[in-house]
Amino acid sequence: MELELGLAPPNDAGSCGKRRSAEAFGVKKPTLPLFLRDDDDDGDHGNGEDDTGDARDCEISMGNKRKRLVGWPPVKSAHRPRSNSHVKVKMEGVPIGRKVDLSRHASYHQLHHTLRLMFPSTSHHGDPYAVTYEDVDGDWVLVGDVPWEDFVRSAKRLKILLV
Amino acid sequence: RKQKDNDTASLSTPSSPDALPAAAASPRAPPARASRRVASPGPATARAAPMGRGGARDGAAAAPPWHSLPDEVLEHAFSFLPAAADRGAAAAVCHGWLGAERRSRRRLAVANCYAAAPRDAVDRFPSVRAAEVKGKPHFADFGLVPPAWGAEAAPWVAAAADGWPLLEELSFKRMVVTDECLEMIASSFRNFQVLRLVSCEGFSTAGLAAITEGCRNLRELDLQENYIEDCSSHWLSYFPESFTSLETLNFSCLEGEVNFAVLERLVSRCRNLKTLKLNNAIPLDKVASLLRKAPQLVELGTGKFSAEYHSDLFAKLEAAFAGCKSLRRLSGAWDAVPDYLPAFYCVCEGLTSLNLSYATVRGPELIKFISRCKNLQQLWVMDLIEDHGLAVVAGSCSKLQELRVFPSDPFGAGQVLLTERGLVDVSASCPMLESVLYFCGQMTNEALITIAKNRPNFTCFRLCILEPRTPDYVTRESLDAGFSAIVESCKGLRRLSVSGLLTDLVFKSIGANGNCLEMLSIAFAGNSDLGLHYILSGCKTLKKLEIRDCPFGNKPLLANAAKLETMRSLWMSSCSLTLGACRQLAEKMPRLTVEIMNDPGRTCPVESLPDDSPVETLYVYRTIAGPRSDTPDYVQIV
Repeated sequence: MELELGLAPPNDAGSCGKRRSAEAFGVKKPTLPLFLRDDDDDGDHGNGEDDTGDARDCEISMGNKRKRLVGWPPVKSAHRPRSNSHVKVKMEGVPIGRKVDLSRHASYHQLHHTLRLMFPSTSHHGDPYAVTYEDVDGDWVLVGDVPWEDFVRSAKRLKILLV
Repeated sequence: RKQKDNDTASLSTPSSPDALPAAAASPRAPPARASRRVASPGPATARAAPMGRGGARDGAAAAPPWHSLPDEVLEHAFSFLPAAADRGAAAAVCHGWLGAERRSRRRLAVANCYAAAPRDAVDRFPSVRAAEVKGKPHFADFGLVPPAWGAEAAPWVAAAADGWPLLEELSFKRMVVTDECLEMIASSFRNFQVLRLVSCEGFSTAGLAAITEGCRNLRELDLQENYIEDCSSHWLSYFPESFTSLETLNFSCLEGEVNFAVLERLVSRCRNLKTLKLNNAIPLDKVASLLRKAPQLVELGTGKFSAEYHSDLFAKLEAAFAGCKSLRRLSGAWDAVPDYLPAFYCVCEGLTSLNLSYATVRGPELIKFISRCKNLQQLWVMDLIEDHGLAVVAGSCSKLQELRVFPSDPFGAGQVLLTERGLVDVSASCPMLESVLYFCGQMTNEALITIAKNRPNFTCFRLCILEPRTPDYVTRESLDAGFSAIVESCKGLRRLSVSGLLTDLVFKSIGANGNCLEMLSIAFAGNSDLGLHYILSGCKTLKKLEIRDCPFGNKPLLANAAKLETMRSLWMSSCSLTLGACRQLAEKMPRLTVEIMNDPGRTCPVESLPDDSPVETLYVYRTIAGPRSDTPDYVQIV
């Protein structure tokens, strides 16, 4: 297993032949993700939708998937692989729950924005809050730790807690 | 067709308040030109040359007839100019024509809802019967525009309700349409006939119920790819039993159930129903019984179309389709039921349009089905068709005009189903092919050059290589040569999307050769400011430019500021722009709105930021309405 920390993320998905683009991504963000890349994982790419499995196993085979960019490739959400991405959202202290369609958001920022619109009491009081989600294992996890697309697939419902 | 208004009419100056709005409202009208003052009309000075012909110059001192034509005659003449561009050109001739044209205009297309104020549009064109308004920028389709950005339909509906009581058709694209809007539409226009909502959001089935209940003369209810909240209100049931005028019903994007008995009765009594597009909740056997009730259908969307194979259901479907002699357009989310495809072989020969872009069906049955569609003009399909499937299409569908191939696994590891081969084959064998949208994993310059040579008649060429900055996989070079060949060969190209590894040189080519280009999409391309400069200083007819993740900076933007007023809009995200340049641009060009977008999390006011602050997203558009007042906190108008 090769630990790689550099200015540009490795952008050759090792399983796609020997495509070694020397051209850097040219990512502008100052901090970059740390990639774990397993070069022996060639046979493991399979169908992008299949390895929802465990979030932990996903991290290792992440190098085999195309890096997730917002809005790329340019396909409408209707054309993306369909998943039931409506999740219930409940906020602590608010009796009525809402539903949000995760597939219509492209990032955590957008989700937070929508949640603020749905539960205006958060921004009104200015109280800090935490958004948590129930994942496929039934655990309640803080939102934001895993790549967005993985979150969309594994989140079953959301709960907003007042901190 | 273009009237050369040379010397026969007096022209108003562009600074008159009338000239510019006409240009802004009809999207393809040329911008108001510099004044060409001629002597004011009068019998002694004006020459009597009839338009377009060089006759009667000898001694015809009589006043040219068109200076004293009554308005009704002008309006009648203009009724033969349906195209907005022609009407815009006619309106720019003189004040008289401007007035006659605007009073008689029946169709209005507002390509950017913020380019003009709704009230002004309604006041200027009081006789409009059909209006189309578009809102968010195109990249909103891919999640690049956060929620609550704007583009509310409400002001337009309110203005229309006030000023266009006879309105018959309303179409909104990428806008926020609320239930209140729909209620207002239902109650404000007594002869309302056509509602088309494309990629909109903000409404629910309750709003639809208002439409079905209130619009007694409704002919078309066309809901394309909207996000509709399901309130479980039985909107379909609100059509009165006496209601029979429906010709188009498209609810394919609706997620929830509809009452099938109500639908069946509706379909039975609307004998003029031509287009019926069902949603995924309608099961296969119900599709068959609907078809039996409406054999006159021209367009059918089958909905989910998946079920286990049962021979009696197969027979039912086959019989139902056999009765549909007029079916020309077919679509649906066909989910892996290749065994049912032979049930509608009988309609293949008549099909002109096949939309399988939501269908996961694949394999030899799919290809066999398509190969029987000998008269196909439009094919939308997933890359599951693979190269060999496209080779069959190439051999069978000689009348193909438009091909779109979508990625079935956009985030996958590049399991290559489809290569450049498929596109080369289709371009070689389909002489009428003029519009392409193609997602694939690899490309070569050689393939693009071949395609360009085969098909100089392309009007729309959109190629998306899934991995950004992918070079020619054989030579490892950039794809400059390939895309240059496309723009050099396809002289009538109006729309282009480029991808793969590209340097500034390709933009030099596009700028120099894209003489008809109206829309250009660029992502992860170019080396420097030069790339953008080539585009903005070339591409004479460019209307929409959308750029993401390119190393383009401030200089070409400022150097070509005037160009932006000749365009409808410019989008630049994740490039190298800074706030100072945006400020300069806004100052230099008062008729542009310069919007910048931050992360929704950040809300510090733009005035406090220094000039060298990076700008993540810039959206610039021309407007006569001034800055909009409905920006969310993450949008700042500079």
